Amino acid sequence: MNLNHSSGLLHRLFALLRSERRAMLAGVLVAVLGTLAGIALIAVSGHFITAMALAGASGAAINYYTPAALIRLLAIVRTLGRYLDRLITHDATLRLLARLRGWLFGKLAPLAPARLAALHSTALFSRLRADIDALEHIYLGVAIPLLSALAVMLGTLTVVLVYLPWLGAGLLVLFMASAWWLPAWTWRSGQAPGSESVACTDMLRELADDGLRGRAELVLFGAEAMHAERIAAITTKQQAARRKLDTLQAIGSAGVMLTAQCALIGALLLGLPALHAATLAAPDLVMLALLLPAAFESIAPLPDAWAQLGASLLCAQRVFALADTPPAIEEPISAPPPASSTDLAIRQLRLRYDDAPSWALDGLELDLPQGARLALVGPSGAGKSSLLAALLRFYPYQGSITLGGIPLEQWQGDDVRARIAVVEQQPYLFDASLRENLRLGCPDASDEMLHTAIAQACLHDYVASLPHGLDTWIGENGIRVSGGEARRIAIARALLLDAPILILDEPTEGLDAVTASTLYESLAALAQGRSLLLITHRLGKLSALVNEVAVMRDGSIAEGLSVAAYQARGATAAPAMPAALDRQALNVP
Amino acid sequence: MPLASTSWLRQQARPVRGVLIGGLLAGSAQAALMCAGAWLVAHLLAQAIFHHRALASLWPLLAALLPMALARGALGVAQRRACFDAGAKVSMSVRLALEQRLRALGPLWAAQQSRGDIVTRLVDGIDALVPYYAGYLPQLAFAAIVPAIILACALPADAWSALVLVATAPLIPVFMLLAGRAAEQASQRRWKRLRRMGAHFMDALAGLTTLRLFRAVAREETFLAATGEAYRRETMAVLRIAFLSAVVLEFFATVSIAVVAVLVGFRLLWGKLDFESGLFVLLLAPEFFLPLRALGTQRHRKMEAAAAAEDLTALLQTTAAPAAGALPATSQSIASTQIGIAFEHVSFGYGAGDVVRDVSLAIAAGERLTVVGTTGSGKSTLLSLLMSMATPRDGRILINGEDLTGLDLDGWRRHIAWVPQRAHVFHGTLRDNLLLAAPAASAWQLERALHAAALAPVVARLPRGLDTPLGEHGRGLSGGERQRLSLARAWLRDTPLLLLDEPTQHLDAATALQIDTALAQLAQGRTVIRIAHRLDAIGAHEQVAVMAAGRVVETGRAETLRHAHGAFARLLAADRAA
Repeated sequence: MNLNHSSGLLHRLFALLRSERRAMLAGVLVAVLGTLAGIALIAVSGHFITAMALAGASGAAINYYTPAALIRLLAIVRTLGRYLDRLITHDATLRLLARLRGWLFGKLAPLAPARLAALHSTALFSRLRADIDALEHIYLGVAIPLLSALAVMLGTLTVVLVYLPWLGAGLLVLFMASAWWLPAWTWRSGQAPGSESVACTDMLRELADDGLRGRAELVLFGAEAMHAERIAAITTKQQAARRKLDTLQAIGSAGVMLTAQCALIGALLLGLPALHAATLAAPDLVMLALLLPAAFESIAPLPDAWAQLGASLLCAQRVFALADTPPAIEEPISAPPPASSTDLAIRQLRLRYDDAPSWALDGLELDLPQGARLALVGPSGAGKSSLLAALLRFYPYQGSITLGGIPLEQWQGDDVRARIAVVEQQPYLFDASLRENLRLGCPDASDEMLHTAIAQACLHDYVASLPHGLDTWIGENGIRVSGGEARRIAIARALLLDAPILILDEPTEGLDAVTASTLYESLAALAQGRSLLLITHRLGKLSALVNEVAVMRDGSIAEGLSVAAYQARGATAAPAMPAALDRQALNVP
Repeated sequence: MPLASTSWLRQQARPVRGVLIGGLLAGSAQAALMCAGAWLVAHLLAQAIFHHRALASLWPLLAALLPMALARGALGVAQRRACFDAGAKVSMSVRLALEQRLRALGPLWAAQQSRGDIVTRLVDGIDALVPYYAGYLPQLAFAAIVPAIILACALPADAWSALVLVATAPLIPVFMLLAGRAAEQASQRRWKRLRRMGAHFMDALAGLTTLRLFRAVAREETFLAATGEAYRRETMAVLRIAFLSAVVLEFFATVSIAVVAVLVGFRLLWGKLDFESGLFVLLLAPEFFLPLRALGTQRHRKMEAAAAAEDLTALLQTTAAPAAGALPATSQSIASTQIGIAFEHVSFGYGAGDVVRDVSLAIAAGERLTVVGTTGSGKSTLLSLLMSMATPRDGRILINGEDLTGLDLDGWRRHIAWVPQRAHVFHGTLRDNLLLAAPAASAWQLERALHAAALAPVVARLPRGLDTPLGEHGRGLSGGERQRLSLARAWLRDTPLLLLDEPTQHLDAATALQIDTALAQLAQGRTVIRIAHRLDAIGAHEQVAVMAAGRVVETGRAETLRHAHGAFARLLAADRAA
């Protein structure tokens, strides 16, 4: 990453956090003040005791009130400074955190799901998590130490230049070495082991995933010992890389200590002759001798801060690139003219995913008049989910879709989704109470409404079995929800949305026959007065829900027919596994 | 913080005690060298100022500072290395212990777990342990050792200053204990809430599509902003008090330096102390409190490690109800090309209710059995028991007349090929995924399996053929392709027993037909147990076992059962009514 680019990123990050700049600046000022007071306390103390010793030896009178008072003042400033420093920087950090999260959420929301690959991959998502984490630490972990060190270096240089100008020149070189060259070297040398460590961590994540999801295969294939060996091998590799990084950091801090000692030696080399020549007073020499090592102490966190800055900038780059992604759908500026009906008409619909070579939907034509009940049946890969994505205004398309006679492009996405309730194939349940999850589309729903929806979705027994009923926590940190239960929660959630169009995406997949059969009736009752689009690869008992069937193949509708006609044909066309098993005459190559 | 997790963390440190002590020795030597350096500087300045010695006679002393600094640097690196190694060793042993635990818990347990949760615990959880051993524990020791070394050096130089340090030092732990315990609890609560807030944010991101679907984005945005702001206000109100206790440490550290400086200054003025000793003590005073202050910055690492330890110990203490795979003392190896199976009054359960109840079945070598029944009737569990992924609680399973529990499990499993409902695709290349099932397979065998499983056209389409990486980083496989991969694995294994667990359930009709055709080839001459879900497609001559609520309620030829007005006929009727 070049310097221009880095400063561009920093500039942008700062612009983003501009609203919190007063809190941030106050934090930096207080931190710098506390640090400077601490260093001054040591230096002034050295000066003070030397002056006192000289006065004691010569019997001369000395004004000890001023330095003693100064020492007390510095002690108070340092203590108070540290207190305010912690308080104000904490406040600033929390402000930044809230600001950054709010901004990012607003940016990412329009990208889901079309442009947010992180939603489909555990690895990408955990990287996004780490990136956000790094950005949240950029103030406390990078900005504060860097700016404090800068202030200390400037202050120390000024003092040294007043007393021993030549020492100032040498000190400048030492500061450059410890605050710039040394961290730059450790950072550069840390690049290779750093990416190695990240790659190994990714691999460990994959191995953990394999060890969980593929455990049965590992057991059966007798590969468990091999799996454990791979874990050990990758861990060893990861640790070797991390040890290199850690050693680099250790060398970095040893280097700072070494330059601090060099500065001290330099101060004595130049200061002792000056003392002898009476061009430098003894108390001043002692003050310098104490000042320099203390000053270097605030440089000690720099190798770490620089390394964090480099990593944070990479994170910022990724996060900004993600935030800058144009949404797949441009929302129209004007509100749509009020639609009188909720007829859906699809003409010559084509849809292609970004990097896909072929069209997922190719010339699809479909009508779903208000109140119609249609099943869309087709094999996996026929484009059923793509149609759903186009209808919900998640993906751009070619051709036309009209809702209530108005082209979908003229609708606000939210207005479209207000008219279409979807039961997703893999519903996402939030880490919240069941009540919160159900109220997602209808935040003001009363308990009565919730219970009606629960009853309709055949969820009643399940809710009754929960320890805290509606207030039971589900999701990642809550109780485990089976696939069938999740589906029913999603159905209840969609019911509460009360939309004129209902789309069921494989509604009974993963439910056992008994639960499924109770669900058909509630779904049929629910579909009353609504348009229903049922998406499935196998109609089965779901046929009771619909009047018509559209068979989908290769991105378009192959044919449309009545349920009765479809079923009559389906009975003869169903593939029979054992019949195939009985065919003994197949060749083995 | 629960005491249990802290004591577990300490327990893990036991095996690395030697390494840690090495690190502590290096750190202590460093502190001693620092004291020596301070004395050298004090001596130099005292000689120059009060004895008017010139640089010419002092330079050997000055030159000695450099090797001392080099030695300090080297010791510092050694100390970091030792501490790092301690952390690395613990994380390695915990990681392997967890893998061992997962192994003992078995596939049945693994299938029920939330993927994100376990992966996070296994990777990020273990990473969070490391700073405890590499940072917190050594710092805890240094907070006691380094001040002691400094005190030992300061005492002979100036007893009064040493007294000031001694007097303030114990006040710090006492004060931190009094004011700090409440503060520590408050800071733990804060930290937990902060973590929860972060988790909520990531949860909202993960569920963005659903939020959009339900037009809840704006609401969530307001909520995020409101909770962030509320958290900040509440936290800051608490922190104003909580930080006061932390400031106590800062206050004593600062004040004792100031007191030492003033005390030394006046005693120098009165001629009660020589300059060399005074300066030496003043140089040491700030170093005295440094390790204690550093400990404060390590505290959040301890909290993070303890939280992670809580998650990890929970996992380590998990026990699956009937533990599988305990090898008996004498295990017989099995080597046969013909497998006959008999279940004799087999029962199995996860605790509350039995999943398999008193099942007796016999399948002769080379025969086929189709098992049907509703979801949850125990069909898949039968296959798990047969693969020894779980051990029957009652009854026994006989393989060619031998009790399964007496067999060498690895040897027995080499006789089984299994096509599950959803085969797992491992991270790695397609070739890795195939060879996992049969590491010794030749290129020719691989080729044959690819063709037999209709996987060859899929391979041809892949950008790098067999060496295309699969899994999350690579290309995903569709459901049908995945099942073909599973079939190819079964071909490669070329075993006398074939277990099929509804291998076409999630597939559309056309793909299912292709898979079925390939399966038919594979089944020839092997003992086959197939779990089926499409009843109307079962051939008339199939041997069928019907399961309900864990029991085998009917067995016989499909043709016979169809007319028997029993469980099979009822299932069939229900299926046809669809």
